[in-house]
Amino acid sequence: MPRRRSRSSLGPTGTQSTLSFSNSKVHKPTSAKEALSKSTAKFISSPKAEHTLDLGHITSAAAVASQAAIELAKPVKEKSIEELQAEKLTDGQIKKYWKAREAERQAPRVHQAGLGVEEKILRLFDMSSQYGPAIGIARMKRWVRANKLGLAPPIEVLAVLLREEKKGNTGIERAHVDELMSAKFVIGDT
Amino acid sequence: MAIPEGPGNMLRGPMKQEHVCLERQPSLYKSLHTFTLQKEKHYQQQYGDMYFLRLTKLKPVVEEIAAEAWDGLYISGEEVEKVDRVLDVRQGKLCWVAGTIYMHMPLKPNILTDIAKDHWISAPLPPTKYLSSSSEDIIMLEDESGRIPLTGSMLDREMLVTGCIVAVMGTENAEGVFEVVDMKVPDLPPQAERWNTSEALVINGTKKAKVEDADEDMDVDKPVPGIRKKLAIISGLGFSGTFSDNSLQINLLTEFLLGEVLDPVTQASVSQISRLIIAGNSIALDEDSISHDTIGNTKKAQKKYGYDASAYNPTPTEHLDNFLATLLPTMPITLIPGFSDPANVSLPQQPIHNAMFPQAKSYGLIPAAKGEEQQPGWLDTVTNPWDGEVEGWKILATGGQNIDDVFKYVEGEDRLGMLEAMCRWRCCAPTAPDTLWSYPFQNDDPFVMMSCPHIFLTGSQPKFDTAAIEGPEGQKVRLIAVPRFSETGELVIVDSETLETEVVRFSVCS
Repeated sequence: MPRRRSRSSLGPTGTQSTLSFSNSKVHKPTSAKEALSKSTAKFISSPKAEHTLDLGHITSAAAVASQAAIELAKPVKEKSIEELQAEKLTDGQIKKYWKAREAERQAPRVHQAGLGVEEKILRLFDMSSQYGPAIGIARMKRWVRANKLGLAPPIEVLAVLLREEKKGNTGIERAHVDELMSAKFVIGDT
Repeated sequence: MAIPEGPGNMLRGPMKQEHVCLERQPSLYKSLHTFTLQKEKHYQQQYGDMYFLRLTKLKPVVEEIAAEAWDGLYISGEEVEKVDRVLDVRQGKLCWVAGTIYMHMPLKPNILTDIAKDHWISAPLPPTKYLSSSSEDIIMLEDESGRIPLTGSMLDREMLVTGCIVAVMGTENAEGVFEVVDMKVPDLPPQAERWNTSEALVINGTKKAKVEDADEDMDVDKPVPGIRKKLAIISGLGFSGTFSDNSLQINLLTEFLLGEVLDPVTQASVSQISRLIIAGNSIALDEDSISHDTIGNTKKAQKKYGYDASAYNPTPTEHLDNFLATLLPTMPITLIPGFSDPANVSLPQQPIHNAMFPQAKSYGLIPAAKGEEQQPGWLDTVTNPWDGEVEGWKILATGGQNIDDVFKYVEGEDRLGMLEAMCRWRCCAPTAPDTLWSYPFQNDDPFVMMSCPHIFLTGSQPKFDTAAIEGPEGQKVRLIAVPRFSETGELVIVDSETLETEVVRFSVCS
């Protein structure tokens, strides 16, 4: 009698093992994976694990990461006019832009003491509702979309995003409000 | 040997009468892929992006119209001023602002009723209209900054649903409600001329040679004048595994379209029909296979591979496949999915997969060789909503879900009025994503009509209706509401030169 193969799951009684559809690991197509690995040197480990399990469809972190990767993985010769313009901006111009934004308000911004100028500029961009919602979308993609719709988003924001990507800071693509809104707290955890 | 043709002689020679072999007119056709979704779909984004995209696309248009009408206008000594955002409206100040309409209706599907369904035996039946008889419905104007409720007699006259972009002029009263004096909609988008809508059309899947003519800016041969083509549209065929009373009507329909019945004159006119568009609901909804009660369903069906195989009935798709395979050898068909068809639930519905049609799929898409352009197959399964070009006319067709949803928001039964309102709002599914399930678009809202179609048709309607509307820049749109064939037995035929419609009704004397 042939040796019985071990059963993979407890199905209805019978000698045949049943197919299990519950734990199937769906892998994203390799092109997105290659784009991700190409554009980022350091990569945060938890989004990567989510990436192979294709949870990008329901949680925003992996989806935002893949959106950012697609935006940045364009070959060099396809760089748009805006990107070339943004790369020419100097540190001084970016700081001048931020000073002008701060001058628009009478009181200084609170809870922003520990942030650098880059993050402050990006948070202002996130909160500008005329460019659309900032949650569930990568900052770069949001900028490109606003530009395409003719809303004239500030070029300094694009400059800051490109600089941060060059430094390898991939967490910059996700808006801070996005992290706040999708934070989960399990009751009982300290 | 000559046959003597004397009286009483029954023998006759072969007939010398020549029979004209009728040929069907070729169809000049191009299907646009405006509503096709990518294979990899993401659902983590919110629907707020869709509203933002719609508002951004249509706000400049409606603001231009409003500025033309209201700039410099004085009402009782006060000048009307433009306000950028809804929240910038000041109390007592006469102003105008553009935004999205949101209708707050308590009868709309509510998550709380879904939860109630879990605790009771069954949920109450969904209401036919969301309009409540008392004044519980609030109409609001919304944009990124906020919302403001609207009031005024203007709102009763104008048809409004959630998701349409308007500009309103008026003032905010003491209760914080905006009293509307006047309202403007984007109105019909710019319309291209016939044959000018885009590049070369394709005849039935074979590309015509480009006519190199420096003077003309269209590179397609116009058909020989004198041969008028027609377009046949049908909807709601309703093939079912359980209900077969209309099978004789379907048979008559097939024979009519094949040109097998009636006299040669009618057959000649049938040969002018170059294409059949099936606008949704080819397969009827099977009520038995849907279980409505969650509690009390003690009979557990035997589930193998995760679904109950005994509830599946393959006969409806077999009937549809036979119907298509009978017609396809002679005429190209465009198949648009509907609410009850085997396609995805949310708009835009993707084309029905070729695997559903084992016989008809051989007439389907043939993958193009490298370097060649992809030609549509004789059987073209398309999205819902669908836009394409047939005989040079731009057609926008839907399976009926958008009109049925708008119907729930407004009073009355005037479906053609709703079609016209959609054209004037420049949005073919304004209630998506509020009450009409939709894919969460993040880059572009394809429901916004950027160019005006020549024919706007919707399927699965209770009765046939048609009208021709005009726009401010001379745009002309033919609106067609196609009735359900399973109920009315009617086939709509559109003349491709004048866009006049005629109806052929198939009925069985009982």
